[in-house]
Amino acid sequence: MNESIRKAREIITGYSGRPLRIMEVCGTHTHEIFRIGLRKLLPESVELISGPGCPVCVTAVGFIDEACWLALEKGCVVCTFGDLIRVPGTEMSLAGARSEGAEVRPVYSPLDAVELAKADPDRQYVFLAVGFETTTPSACLAAEQAKAAGLKNFSLLTANKTMPNAYNALVGSADAFLYPGHVNAITGNAACKKLCEEKGVSGVVAGFTASELITAMAVTINLLQKDEPFFRNCYTRVVKDEGNPQAIALMNRVMEPCDSEWRGLGNIPMSGMKLRAEYADYDARLKFNMPEIKGRPNPACRCGDVLQGKCKPSDCKVFGKVCTPLHPVGACMVSDEGACAAYYQYSE
Amino acid sequence: MSNNTVNLAHGAGGKQTSELIEKVFKAHFDSPEFTADDAAVLPAVDGKLAMTTDGFIVSPWEFNGGNIGKLSICGTVNDLSCMGAKPLYMTCAFVIEEGFPLDKLEEIAAAMEKTAAEVGVKIVAGDTKVAGKGQCDGVFITTTGVGRIMEKAHTSGSLAKPGDAVIVTGDVGRHGCTILLARGEYGIESDVDTDCAPLWHTVESMYEVTDDIHVIRDATRGGVGTVLYEIAGQSNIGIRIKREDIPVDERVKGVCGMLGLEPLYLACEGRLVIFAPADKAEALVAKLREGKYSANAAIIGTVTAENAGKVVMETEIGTQTLLPQPKGELLPRIC
Repeated sequence: MNESIRKAREIITGYSGRPLRIMEVCGTHTHEIFRIGLRKLLPESVELISGPGCPVCVTAVGFIDEACWLALEKGCVVCTFGDLIRVPGTEMSLAGARSEGAEVRPVYSPLDAVELAKADPDRQYVFLAVGFETTTPSACLAAEQAKAAGLKNFSLLTANKTMPNAYNALVGSADAFLYPGHVNAITGNAACKKLCEEKGVSGVVAGFTASELITAMAVTINLLQKDEPFFRNCYTRVVKDEGNPQAIALMNRVMEPCDSEWRGLGNIPMSGMKLRAEYADYDARLKFNMPEIKGRPNPACRCGDVLQGKCKPSDCKVFGKVCTPLHPVGACMVSDEGACAAYYQYSE
Repeated sequence: MSNNTVNLAHGAGGKQTSELIEKVFKAHFDSPEFTADDAAVLPAVDGKLAMTTDGFIVSPWEFNGGNIGKLSICGTVNDLSCMGAKPLYMTCAFVIEEGFPLDKLEEIAAAMEKTAAEVGVKIVAGDTKVAGKGQCDGVFITTTGVGRIMEKAHTSGSLAKPGDAVIVTGDVGRHGCTILLARGEYGIESDVDTDCAPLWHTVESMYEVTDDIHVIRDATRGGVGTVLYEIAGQSNIGIRIKREDIPVDERVKGVCGMLGLEPLYLACEGRLVIFAPADKAEALVAKLREGKYSANAAIIGTVTAENAGKVVMETEIGTQTLLPQPKGELLPRIC
């Protein structure tokens, strides 16, 4: 153990002030915090809440229903990041649709889906575009490439989300946020600084190694004791104030902000991204005249409360009993980055 | 082109089959015991025998540091070695996809010959089938091996005891990482190469230090983490390991960091996990570090009576967490 980790440990374990609520927004943070056992160092007065930063977890039930509709009713080949396949929809997951004859192809990148479409011009390929500022640029690139190639058999079903307005919706649910380093690497820090200046929301940008995470936690606890709003970038190795201008420009060329439905949080105004009008031919909802599809979450599942820090995964009645990583009832149990899956895997 | 690739006639049992066997396999596997008859005839062997079989379908069949031929010998040699058995004879069965290049098949046979020769195991019989285009992917190989168990060797997954040290013979997860990158699906460039190696001499060298070795297991599919859980279950003991003591190649660390993978669950094809009494551990590691395939061997943990069936990790920040159970959704076709 090096000196900086030892020092951070002392700050965290030695804290004896007022009760603090800190929210790690990012799903990768949730997973890493469990992996390194950071929660075990926290004194009782510090509560760590897992926020809505796992893209699979916040994807609304209705989106899965839309994807199943495209696959089963329209015969589209649905290309998706693997995690989404097991997320339950209202009636079924994409895995369920597959067992009814739908073709569902896991891909690692939206660009793979473009290549699949090129190689098989007689069938329609739809990529399920989910994720935050970290993955949205690659979906935009796929749309640009498909348009440049004049592809007629490729489109996107979008549910891309952006963080800044989600923070607004979460104001008051924690004393400070651990901001997702990967997202800030793209967006830069302006939105977080603005939140601090205008709304008094405190937060620290955190990296992902054990040393980076424990340092960010110690800095947060230290600064919270001063009782004034703060913003700190503890991931300067990767995150620059201006972010990644090329990625931002790409996103703005292809997509524009829209309202977006978040599992658990409901509709958050202007917290999503959709394809611009110039890309209408690549928007699966328009291309296939999709009717409005409203999802109905399983009422027994408390993923929504978990995502807002209103309850712990273990407070949910189905957690670990009928809801397990092999048979997930809610989205938070599907992805490794989901709070429920992390609680389950590391529970002793 | 058809002269340079395998076609269905090569598998039909006629003249072309004989030619394929003569030119490719016999040319490489020739030994007095290599049979032209229906079965190899072998001399009697004193003592107990170990026998094992393994199928190999890795994709891609060629990767940085090896190919499916080398892998197919190492896999079976290592399984025998883990039982304390000196590998003596092997057989191999090929399923080759129509259209597979003959020169590549020769490369595979040459790698098998070289690897087998290194540990002194003889290939004594083989079989060749050709599958139609698309019915298999390139080439699949099944090898079977027989070895003679050293009298002094008594190892089994059920013999780990509280107080034992847990040793790995080298950095973990390199084979899995190599295959992952060779598949080209992540767009990550790295020169990481497989750890694939035949480990009989590695095992033999440990018995120069002590006969008191409780468990030897090769960490293949599922990696070292899966082996630890297997042994914890079979021996009904707990295992405590320390993150900082687990050797991981810097390149593998980098890839795992990017993709969110746990190196302990990435496959190895040339690494052993050993459980031996703590007072023998330092000497074993010192001996291992002299070996060609175990230069960065390390003690990574200890066996405990408490937490039976579980693997507890001491983390980088000094806390203890459970190593999550292996999930079984491994990367496709790594071996």
